[in-house]
Amino acid sequence: MGQWIQWLIDNWLNVTIPVIAFLATYVVSLWMRRVAYRAFDRWTERLRWEGSKVVVAATRSPFLHSFLLLGAYIAIQVSSLSPEGKILGGRIVASLFILLLGWVAISVSEKLIKLYMSRIEAPQPPTTLAVNVVRITIIVLGVLILLDIWGAPTTPIILVLAAVVFIAGLALRDVIPNLLSGAQVALGEQIKVGDFIKLESGESGHVTAINWRNTQIKTLEGNLVLIPNIQLVRTTVTNFGHPVKKATYPFRFYTRLHLKELTGIKASNLRELVDILKGVPDSVVYYHTHHFLEEHHYLTPEPANDFALWVSDALGDEVLGERLASVDAFDFPTVGALKMWLVEVIEDYLAKNPDGKKAPEGQEFHFIRSRGVILSTPYTAHDLREFVEVLKKVTVDIIYFHMFESRLRLQKGTNDFSIWIKDCLGEDKLADKIARLDPYCYSLDSLRSTIIQLIEERM
Amino acid sequence: MTNYVEEEIYLQSKSKIQDYESVLGRSYIEELRMLGERLSGKVIQTVNSTYVGGGVAEILSHMVPLFNQLGVDVRWNVIQGTPEFFDVTKKFHNAIHGKDEKVFPEELSLFLEVSQRNMNEMNFFGDILFIHDPQPVALIAKRKEIGRKWVWRCHIDMSNPNPKVWDFLRGFVLQYDATIFSSPNFAQQLSVPQFLVPPAIDPLSDKNRELSRDTIDSVLNKYGLDGDKPMIVQISRFDYLKDPIGVIAAFERVKKNIDCQLVLAGGTATDDPESEKVISEVRERAAGNPDIHILLIPPGSDIEVNALQRAAAVVMQKSLKEGFALTVSEALWKRKPVVASAVGGIPLQIRHRFTGLLCHSIDGAVYALRQLLANPEYAGWLGENGREHVKHNFLITRELRDYLLLFLSLGSAEDVIYL
Repeated sequence: MGQWIQWLIDNWLNVTIPVIAFLATYVVSLWMRRVAYRAFDRWTERLRWEGSKVVVAATRSPFLHSFLLLGAYIAIQVSSLSPEGKILGGRIVASLFILLLGWVAISVSEKLIKLYMSRIEAPQPPTTLAVNVVRITIIVLGVLILLDIWGAPTTPIILVLAAVVFIAGLALRDVIPNLLSGAQVALGEQIKVGDFIKLESGESGHVTAINWRNTQIKTLEGNLVLIPNIQLVRTTVTNFGHPVKKATYPFRFYTRLHLKELTGIKASNLRELVDILKGVPDSVVYYHTHHFLEEHHYLTPEPANDFALWVSDALGDEVLGERLASVDAFDFPTVGALKMWLVEVIEDYLAKNPDGKKAPEGQEFHFIRSRGVILSTPYTAHDLREFVEVLKKVTVDIIYFHMFESRLRLQKGTNDFSIWIKDCLGEDKLADKIARLDPYCYSLDSLRSTIIQLIEERM
Repeated sequence: MTNYVEEEIYLQSKSKIQDYESVLGRSYIEELRMLGERLSGKVIQTVNSTYVGGGVAEILSHMVPLFNQLGVDVRWNVIQGTPEFFDVTKKFHNAIHGKDEKVFPEELSLFLEVSQRNMNEMNFFGDILFIHDPQPVALIAKRKEIGRKWVWRCHIDMSNPNPKVWDFLRGFVLQYDATIFSSPNFAQQLSVPQFLVPPAIDPLSDKNRELSRDTIDSVLNKYGLDGDKPMIVQISRFDYLKDPIGVIAAFERVKKNIDCQLVLAGGTATDDPESEKVISEVRERAAGNPDIHILLIPPGSDIEVNALQRAAAVVMQKSLKEGFALTVSEALWKRKPVVASAVGGIPLQIRHRFTGLLCHSIDGAVYALRQLLANPEYAGWLGENGREHVKHNFLITRELRDYLLLFLSLGSAEDVIYL
C-alpha cells in the first residue's frame, strides 16, 4: 500500500493530466450533446421529418459513449506511456469507436428502412432483405476499417467484395429501379392510394396500392392493372386526385348493336309506300328513321331519313322529300307516333297529288326491320369523373343506346344519362342540360363531346 | 371427306384481330370479343364447295381465323362433288344471276344424289351449320335427323333470279332458320328470316393496306403511266356489264376540257368466252388515244390494284348491272372520290353527294367527273366521307360482328334481344 502511495506521489502529474483530460472531454461532450440535439430538433421540426425520432433515439447514448472514447484516446496520448503503448491504446480505442459507430449505423438504418418500407406496403421478404443488405454492408465496412487500423492487408478482400456487389447488382437489376422508383413515388406523395390517375399510354383508374415493385390501379372496367414503378416515374401521369361525389347507384353502360332484317317487301310508288308503311311494325320505321345516325354518324349535317331520301332521289319529288326530311324525331315520344305523322304527311300529299311517279326499276324502296341486340359492357361509373372517362373511350354504339334507343324505342321520357345524374348524383341542373340536348342535331361524336364538356364544366 | 387438319392449310389471314385496333379503336375490338365470349361453347360449322378459288373461299380463309381469335369455335368443311355436279351448280349460279339457263331433270337428280352422298359422309358436329351458296344448300335435309340451327348465306346477286331454278332451291332455303343476303334488292318473299349482311373489305390486306409512294410509282412506271396527269381509274373484269365502252365515251368528253388519262384495268374470266371479244372491242375503241390505258392484270395482282386506286384522281364503277361491287369500298377506303352507277349494292356504299357521286348514264358520269376533277377540295371532302363510311360499315370487322349477332340471336323473333 505504501508503495502505491509513494508511486502516486512520484508520478502525480503523469496521472492527473490524463484524468483531467478525460474528465474535461466528458464534460464538453455533455454540453455538446445538449447543444447539438437542440439544433437537430429544431432542424427536423422545420423539415417535419418522420425519421428524426428514430435518429435521436438511436444516437443519444452512443453520442456520449463516443466522447468517452475520445476522452480515453486523448488521455492515452497525453499520458507518459511508451510510444508502443500509446499506439496500442490508440488502436484499441479506435477499434471500440468503429464498433460503436457500426452498431449505431445498423440501428438507425434498420429503423429507417422499416419505417419507409411500411410506407410503400412492402411485404416482409423485401424488407428483411433490405435490412440484411444494409447490415452486412456496414459490418463489412467496419471489419475493413478494423483490419486497416490493425495493419492487416485489405486489398484482396475489397476485390472479392467488389465482385460480389457486381454480381448482386446484375441479379437485382430489374428489382432495384422499381424499388427506388416506388420509394420515390411514395416519398414524393404525388400519387396516393385512392387517387384517380391516367397514364400517357391511356391506362386509367383508381390507385389501390403502391408496393415495392409496382403500383396497382383498378380500371373502370374493374380490371386490376399493375404498373411497374419505374414506368410510373418515367411517363406523364395525370392525377385527378380523390374521387368526387359518389353515386348512390353506379351507372352500368350497355351497348346496342343491330341486325338488319330484310322483309322482302318493296314499294315502287308513293301509294304503295304509305299502304305498306301503315302495316309494318315500329321496328321497320325505327330502322328507316334512325340507321343514318349510326351509319353516317361522322357526317355533319347527316342525311335525312330513308323516306325523305327515296322520295327526293328515286321519285324526284323534292317538295315532299323536304317535308319528310323536316321531321324532328325528338318531338315524338314513341316510334308509333312518328309513324303516324309520316303516314299523315304522305296521305295528305297524295290527296292533293294523286298522280305519283314510279321509281325506276332497281330503285324501289325496300323495307328493312331493325333487330336490336342489347348487351351489358364491363364499364361502370361510380361518379362523374369515372363517367366522363368511360364516355371518352367507348364506341358510339353505347352513346347511341343511352341517348336514342332508351328514350325513343323503349319509351323513356328522357335519356339514361340524365336519369342517373339526377337520381343517383342529385345533379339536377346538369341532368336537365343533357336532357335538353336534341340528339338528332348532333353527330354521335359531337354529341359525346358536348356531354363530356357539360360534365367537365360542372366538375 | 376433308378433315380439320386439311382445313388449316387454307386459313390465310396474316392479320391478327388485335391488328384491327389500329384501324377501329380498342373499344370496337373489345365489343367483338364480348360477343365472341357469349358464343363460348358453341361450334359453328361453316360449309361451302371449295377451299380455294372464288370469293367465298377467300372470305372464309380470312374470317375463320379471326373468328377463332375472338374465341368462337368456327370450323370449315367443304362438300365433295364430281365435275358434272359442279357443272349443274354453275348453272344454278348463272340462273340465280338472272341468266336464262335450262336445267334438266336428270341434272337436278344428280344434284340431289351428290348432296345425299355428302350428307351420308360428312360429319355434322356443329351447333350451328353455316351453309354458303347453292352448292351445299340441300344439306338442310339432314336437319330432320340431327336438328341444330341452320343458316344459309347467299353471296350471289338474287335481284332477278331465274324462277324455275329459284323455285327448286327455294324448297331447301325455306327449311333454314335464317338466310343472309348482301343487298336489300336481293331479298325474296320468304317465310324464314332474311338478314342483310353486306360483304366487306379487309383494310390490312395487300389490296387495301397503305402503300409507300415508291411502290405506287414503281407500279405506274411498270405500266407506263404518267403520275403527274390526273388519272381516272376503273378496276373491273372486261365484261359488257361493266360498260368499259361507256367509260371511254365519258372520258373522251371530259378530256375535251380537262387534261387527264384513263386506266381500265382488270382481268378476263377464263370461263367467259365473251371477255376476249369485249377486250378487243375496248382496244379498238381506245385505239389512237395515248391517254387511254388498257391494262390486263393477272388474278392476285393485289398490290398493283391497290397502287392504281391510290394513284387515281377519280375512281369509276360505271357498271350496267352489279352484284355488290366491293371495288367501290376499296376506292373509298383509299379516300378516293368515286363516280359509280346506282346499281346492285353500289347505292349502299355511296350516298349520293355525301360519300361519292351516283350516275345513271354516260351524261351523268361526264357531269360527275367534271365536278370532281375541277374541284379537288370537293373531291377530297367526298373521299374523306367515303373513308369514314367504309370504316364504319364495310370493313371485315363489321361483317364479323353481323355474323356474331346473327348466331347469338338465332331462334329469337323479338325486336330487341337482351344478351
